[in-house]
Amino acid sequence: MPELGALLLSTQAMPAPGELLNLALNAGAIAPEGAVLLAMLATLLVDLAGERVAIRWVPPICYLGLGAALVLLALQWNAPLEPSFLGAFLSDRLAIAFRAVVAMSTLLSLLISWRYAEKSGTPVGEYAAILLAATLGGMLLCGATDLVSVFVSLETLSVASYLLSGYMKRDARSSEAALKYLLVGSAAAAVFLYGASLLYGLSGSTSLETIGLALIDSPSPLAALALVFVLATVAFKIAAVPFHQWTPDVYEGSPTPVVAFLSVGSKAAGFALALRILVGCFGSFDTQWKLLFTVLALLSMTLGNVVALAQTSMKRMLAYSSIGQAGFVMIGLVCGTEEGFAAMVLYMAAYLFMNLGAFACIILFSIRTGSDRISDYAGLYQKDPLITLGLSLCLLSLGGIPPMLGFFGKIYLFFAGWADHQYLLVVVGLITSVISIYYYIGVIKMMVVKEPQEASEVVKAYPEVTWNTIGLPPLRFALVTCVIVTAVGGILSDPIFRWANSAVDGTPLLQQAIAIASQKALG
Amino acid sequence: MTIAASTQLICFLVLGAVIAIGGLGVVLLSNIVYSAFLLGGVFMAVAGLYLLLNASFVAAAQVLVYVGAVNVLILFAIMLVNKREDLEPIKGLPTRRLLSGGVCAGLFALLVRVAFTTPWAVPGPEAVGEGATVRIGEHLFTDYLLPFELASVLLLMAMIGAIVLARRDVQATDLGTGQSADQGLIEKSRTPLLVDQPPA
Repeated sequence: MPELGALLLSTQAMPAPGELLNLALNAGAIAPEGAVLLAMLATLLVDLAGERVAIRWVPPICYLGLGAALVLLALQWNAPLEPSFLGAFLSDRLAIAFRAVVAMSTLLSLLISWRYAEKSGTPVGEYAAILLAATLGGMLLCGATDLVSVFVSLETLSVASYLLSGYMKRDARSSEAALKYLLVGSAAAAVFLYGASLLYGLSGSTSLETIGLALIDSPSPLAALALVFVLATVAFKIAAVPFHQWTPDVYEGSPTPVVAFLSVGSKAAGFALALRILVGCFGSFDTQWKLLFTVLALLSMTLGNVVALAQTSMKRMLAYSSIGQAGFVMIGLVCGTEEGFAAMVLYMAAYLFMNLGAFACIILFSIRTGSDRISDYAGLYQKDPLITLGLSLCLLSLGGIPPMLGFFGKIYLFFAGWADHQYLLVVVGLITSVISIYYYIGVIKMMVVKEPQEASEVVKAYPEVTWNTIGLPPLRFALVTCVIVTAVGGILSDPIFRWANSAVDGTPLLQQAIAIASQKALG
Repeated sequence: MTIAASTQLICFLVLGAVIAIGGLGVVLLSNIVYSAFLLGGVFMAVAGLYLLLNASFVAAAQVLVYVGAVNVLILFAIMLVNKREDLEPIKGLPTRRLLSGGVCAGLFALLVRVAFTTPWAVPGPEAVGEGATVRIGEHLFTDYLLPFELASVLLLMAMIGAIVLARRDVQATDLGTGQSADQGLIEKSRTPLLVDQPPA
C-alpha cells in the first residue's frame, strides 16, 4: 500500500524509527521514583516469607527506599533542567520540593503506622506496598507535564488511597469510607477525563505546554468549560469546599495513619497538580481561575474552621481543620506572585510536620486507649506528658501561634496576599485563624487544665507508658522529630524560607507566570 | 450526497440513537440486570462509532476490554450478589429526582450551547486507518512511555489490593503483644454513620 505509507509519513509528527533510538529519554529524572518502586517490590517479596518476617524486614526496606528517594531528590536540586521522557515529565525545583513533601509524608506516616497495623491485626507488607505505590503516583503527579501522565499518576494515587482507606476490612466504617471515596473519586476522575479530552480536541496535543500555547491563541468558551472540569478535579483532590463532602467521612472511617498520609501527601500532590495545570496551562484564563479559586478559598477557610468547632471526634476535627488549612494555602495560589508561590511551598512543608506530629499523638493515644473522642483527652497531662506536650505544640502551630513553625508559614501567606491586594482573602483568613485557635486551644485546655478528679474514664484507666512493644519506637521517633521541627523550626525558619524561595526561583514555569503577572500590574 | 456519505450518516444516526437511549436505560431502569445488558449495548455502539471514524484497532480494543471484560465482570458481580434486600424508601424521592434532573438538563444545555458556539476545525486530521497500531506502538514507546510503565505499577497495586480485600485469612493476634486483634479500626467507641446498627 504505497499511498497509505506516504500518508502515514506526511501526517505523523513522530521521528522516523531509526531516529527513535537516538532520542534522549533523560530517565535519570525519575530515579527517586525508581527507589520507591524498588522498595515496593522488595516489600512484596519479603512479605512472601510470612507475617513475622515482614514485621521485621519491611520497615527497614521502606526507610531505605524513601531515604534514597529523598537523597536522590536533593541531588537533583542543582542539576540542569531538561524535560524527560520526551516531555512527559519535568523535574524542576517545584516538582522536587513537592515530591520531597510527598516522600517525607509517606516516611513519617509509615513510622507511625506499624504499631497501629499490628494492633489491628492487618498484614503489614501489603499495607506498606500499597502506600508506596500511592507515593509513587503522588510523586510522579508533582512533575507530570502531559495529560496522559497526569491522569495515570492521579489514578495510581487515587486507587491506592481507596484501597488504603478500606484496609480495615472487618470494620464497617472503613468499608463505608472506601466505598464513598471510590464513588466520589471515580466521578472526579471521569470529570477530569472529560475536561482533558476537550483540551486535547482544542489543541491536538496532550502536552500541557502546547495546550497552554493553543489556549492563548484561541480562548474559546469550550476552553473555559474544560477549565471548570479540570478545576473541579483539582479541588476534589485538595478537598476544597464545595468539593469536600467526602473528606470527613473518609477521614473518620480510614485507619488513622492513612488519614495522616491523605491529609498531607495526597494534598501536596493535588497542589502541585493545581500549579502545573492552572499556572502552566490556563495562563490565558488567569482572571477566571483566580476568581474561582478565591471563592473556593473563602468557602474552605470559613466552612472548614467553623464546622470544626462542633466536632467531638479528634479525627473528624482534624479533617475539617485540614479543609481550612487547604484554604489558607490557596491564598498563595491566588496571589500568583513570587512570595505567594514561595509561601505555598513553605506552608506545605510546615503543614507536613505539624499535622503529622498531631496525627502521631492521636494515634499513640488511640493505641493506648482505643478512643479518639476529644472529651476522652481530659486530664491527660497527669498520665502522659509526652502526648500532651506534643499535641499541644502541634495544635498551637496549626492554629498559628508564635513562635511555632505554623505561625511563620501563615504570616508569610497573609503577607503575600496583602502585598497582592487580596484584602478580602487575608481578612477572612485572619478571622478564621482566630476561630481555629479557639478549637485547637479547646483540646489543649481539655488535656491540661482539668483536675485529676475531672479526668475522663479512659484517662483514669490509662495503661502504664511503655515503649518496648515492636513498632512503638519508630512512632516515638516520628512524634519527637515532628514536634521538635514544629517547635524549633519557627525560630530557625530561615533555611526553610530560603529553600522555598529558591524552589520558586529555579522553576521556569512559575517565573514566566510571575513575569506576565508583573507586566499586567505595570500596565 | 453520495451513497457512501448517506450510509455513513444513517449508521451514525442509528449508533447515536442506540447510545443515547441505551445510556438513559442504564440510568433509569430499576432492574440492575437490564442496566448491565444495556451497558453492553452502549459499549458495542461506541465501538461502532470508532469503526465509523476508521479506527478499527480502537474499536476492537473497546469490544475486548469493555464488552468482554468490564461488562462481563459487572454481570458476574450482579449474579453473585443475589441477595434480595428491601431497602428503606428514601424520603422526598420525587423532589430529589426533579432536582437532579434539573441539574443534568442544565449541564446538557450548557454542553450543547458550548458545542455549537465553538469554531471547530473541521475536517479534522486524516484518519490513519490501518496504520493506527504502528502509531500507537510508537507513541507507547516514545512520549507515552512513562504513563505506559506507570500503568503496570497501577495494575500490580490494584491486584494486590483486590487480593488483600478478598482473602479470608485474618491475623487473629497482635504480633507485638500476643493479644487478639480483629482487623477493625482501633477507635472502637464511635458508632457507624451510614450502616445500620447491628441487632442487639
